Amino acid sequence: MEDLLDIQGLKTYFFTEAGVVKAVDGIDFHVGKDEAVGLVGESGSGKTVTGLSVLRIVPRPGRILAGTIRYEGEDLLSKSEEEMRKIRGSKIAMTFQDPTTSLDPLYTIENQLVEVIREHQKGLSKEEASEGAMKLLEMVGIPEPELRIKAYPHELSGGMKQRIAISRALASRPLLLFADEPTTNLDVTVQAQVLELLEDLREKLKMSLVMITHDMGIIAETTQRVQVLYAGMVAEVAETHSLFVKPMHPYTEALLQAVPRIDQRRELKVIPGNIPNLINPPPGCRFHPRCPYAKELCWQKVPILEAMDDGHMAACHFWRELSLTGV
Amino acid sequence: MAGITTYVIRRLLFMIPVFLGVSILTFAISNAAGDPISLIRQGLRSAPPEVLEALRAYYHLDQPLYIRYLYWLWNILHLDLGNSVSGTPVIDRMGMWVLTTLELQIPALVLAVLIGVPIGVYSARHQYSKSDVSITTFALFGYSMPTFWLGLMMIIIFSLRLGWFPSGGAAGITRVWWGSEFGDRIAHLIMPLLVLTYVQLATFVRLMRGNMLQVLREDYVLSSRACGLRERTVIYKHALRNAITPIVTILGLGFGSSLAGAPALETAFNWPGLGYQFVVATFSLDVPMIVGITVVITIMLMVANIFTDLIYAMLDPRVRLG
Amino acid sequence: MQKETEPESSTTVKREVATAARRERRGASQWAVAWRRFKRNKAGLAGLFIVLFFLFIALTSPWLAPYPPRSFQALYEGEAGQPPSWKHPFGTSRAGLDIYSEVLHGTRGDLYVGVGATVVAVIIGMVIGAVAGYSRGAGGDVLLMLSQVFYTIPLLPLILLFARVFSILVAQGFGLTLILLLLGVFGWSSVSFIVRGEILRVRELDFVQASRSIGASRHRVIFRHIVPNILTPIIITATLFIAGNILTEVVISFLGFGDVNTSTWGITIQEGITYMRTEWWTPVFPGLATLMAVLGFNLVGDGLSDALNPRLRD
Repeated sequence: MEDLLDIQGLKTYFFTEAGVVKAVDGIDFHVGKDEAVGLVGESGSGKTVTGLSVLRIVPRPGRILAGTIRYEGEDLLSKSEEEMRKIRGSKIAMTFQDPTTSLDPLYTIENQLVEVIREHQKGLSKEEASEGAMKLLEMVGIPEPELRIKAYPHELSGGMKQRIAISRALASRPLLLFADEPTTNLDVTVQAQVLELLEDLREKLKMSLVMITHDMGIIAETTQRVQVLYAGMVAEVAETHSLFVKPMHPYTEALLQAVPRIDQRRELKVIPGNIPNLINPPPGCRFHPRCPYAKELCWQKVPILEAMDDGHMAACHFWRELSLTGV
Repeated sequence: MAGITTYVIRRLLFMIPVFLGVSILTFAISNAAGDPISLIRQGLRSAPPEVLEALRAYYHLDQPLYIRYLYWLWNILHLDLGNSVSGTPVIDRMGMWVLTTLELQIPALVLAVLIGVPIGVYSARHQYSKSDVSITTFALFGYSMPTFWLGLMMIIIFSLRLGWFPSGGAAGITRVWWGSEFGDRIAHLIMPLLVLTYVQLATFVRLMRGNMLQVLREDYVLSSRACGLRERTVIYKHALRNAITPIVTILGLGFGSSLAGAPALETAFNWPGLGYQFVVATFSLDVPMIVGITVVITIMLMVANIFTDLIYAMLDPRVRLG
Repeated sequence: MQKETEPESSTTVKREVATAARRERRGASQWAVAWRRFKRNKAGLAGLFIVLFFLFIALTSPWLAPYPPRSFQALYEGEAGQPPSWKHPFGTSRAGLDIYSEVLHGTRGDLYVGVGATVVAVIIGMVIGAVAGYSRGAGGDVLLMLSQVFYTIPLLPLILLFARVFSILVAQGFGLTLILLLLGVFGWSSVSFIVRGEILRVRELDFVQASRSIGASRHRVIFRHIVPNILTPIIITATLFIAGNILTEVVISFLGFGDVNTSTWGITIQEGITYMRTEWWTPVFPGLATLMAVLGFNLVGDGLSDALNPRLRD
């Protein structure tokens, strides 16, 4: 089955005053049709930047330096800006973490939905577009959409804003959605609703979803396959179930250990240290300063992704020897 | 729309303490060193006694201070500003002076906004480019410069040395410039207008650039792009409108401080507007005139503020609630 | 390598990049970092150089200037109204002033007013802002209203009036101090907004309430949390304020409401108007000095703003 999205060797760097930040430093990533894939990692691991790179909206001073990004077989990096613009929102879409800031405070919901609808469907009249906007609100389960549609963002709750943001991204039924931390800024009770909504929509629209998050719980709930990123590089790739049951990378193990459990009494393990400086990353394996199993080889050589039979891959020199604990 | 109305009413109510504040201060200061009569005598020794008598009655000088203030406030609200030391009612030539000041201030403000805002936007979008640097420098000089001094420099070069423009006044006295009465006024207007426009423009460029830089980094700009909107839509519909909203409030204040700073520019150009007359009146301690002009300036300021508040409420839905 | 659109950074990505770009400067304080950034800003450095230069002149003018302040000696030497020359680098006015000396002496006066008025304004602003921020009742609202009123009031006409009415004080040599006080007393409102705003913000923060609940005194809260946060905007505002006050002072003196017996740039400009056509140097040089000084402070202010608020730079 051909992949919907196939990224090879992506490198996106930020050329800042402080130095060159290697936010994404050689990542392979693929998403199949109708698949929900997780992209997990701490802040700064490069997961958001990956999504931005696919859409080619990486903000200054960032630039994509190397790699290929194939969508439905076509290389996105060789497309013109105008071609990319047509793809954004209609074939590939992205939602952002904070719904309060991702909607323009000065315009009504109707206005913002209609403008996106009309952008991708030329020739629609305003009335038709408004109707379309209403349908979008219904699709994401907004109660009393006739009232809400004329409202301004600041008049709505966080959960509603996020749903609206999602509906805006899905206005033209894209086949691939990058959802960047869709629930992080929301109340706990609302989080479940939004996740459910995303799963619903994915099924209905036959869409592939890339769930960008740092929350392992969300990964468990919503994804079939998951990729763990650390400091701009891939640490592990696996089917979600496999990852949880038998992680192959020490970082994954640490992430799993840090998830609080109701059913087990155990100490909450914190990963020691800080995320690394991406201007001068640690030599060799970038995780080695914080890795409980690190040996000399780890800071001498950069580990490459190695695969086991079932597609489970890890970038660790010692994954064969280590017997790591899952959940 | 209810939200806007309540907001504007609130702002109107706010103007009341501003007006009271200014009036109390003016009244207090002008009475502080002694009653108006002795002040006037101090400034202009040759005031005729009848005028002084009229003033005495007008000010109710036989009453204690706070009563005098109330009388005075009452008079003002009825637009009775008394007579100046020259005997004529203060209010007579006020209209003319207001128009003369506005003849300079309004076109300058309009031009400054029309030119400054686009330049600021351009500068922000091309941050760190050569044009950005030149624009920023150009603006920097503009708001670091004493406006009136720039005016003087222009007079020296273009008027006194080159003779291209008249050196002062709003209209020609000894000759009519540029053919007609209209042309004459234009000839006199150009230099002060250029100076004032440049200085104000500098501030707007700077503000707009700053706001734009900030707004362009907001998430909704990125998410708009992610939805595939055209760059033009992203910049003008979303970024610009968000960036310009705070500028509107500054406009109101800027107009106010421009009015306040008018004395210097008008003096430099012998421009017979409110500011110029204020300086004259203050020098001769013509108290009724001083007070009258201050009141008029304050009223103009308040009108400008209300106007900009209204525009602001129309632009930004967030202020309309509560 | 590939064609890349370069939209400006968004807050989301900024967060990530900032987290990722953290240096091993956990030890260095906020100020050291800011100073390093400031040093990289060429404009800011240029401004600092200008400011220090003027400060130097202000301090040394009595010795640096060939003529004492307001000395019309050139008249007696038959050199009044002369264009710039070796003896009189900025020329002489028709009344006999050596413009070069006047500009040097004026530096003192104008910086005195500019900086002094700012100090007064900041102190008043901090006090009022603090009280407004802390008080939970009508008092706070009243002070806020007061700040707003002062912010809106056109201060130039009132200052001119005040200066004229109290011209006796002015004539006795207190002119500059009077102007200084007036500018300070009318200009504090922006500072009070900043202080009040910050106090309100910090007051509600969870960790402040938590530390209060374990008994941390109000003083601790103030010094550890509020003060560092207000210092930054106040410093920037103060620097730009100095620039503005210098300009206003020059306007006041130019209009003739300043102290005629002290050398200020404004007075010198005014005295040069009558014979502007031929003796252009009299108004030009003091104005240039004003421009340079104000420019310097503005550059420093902008540089500080860039250095201490890194959000707008990449």
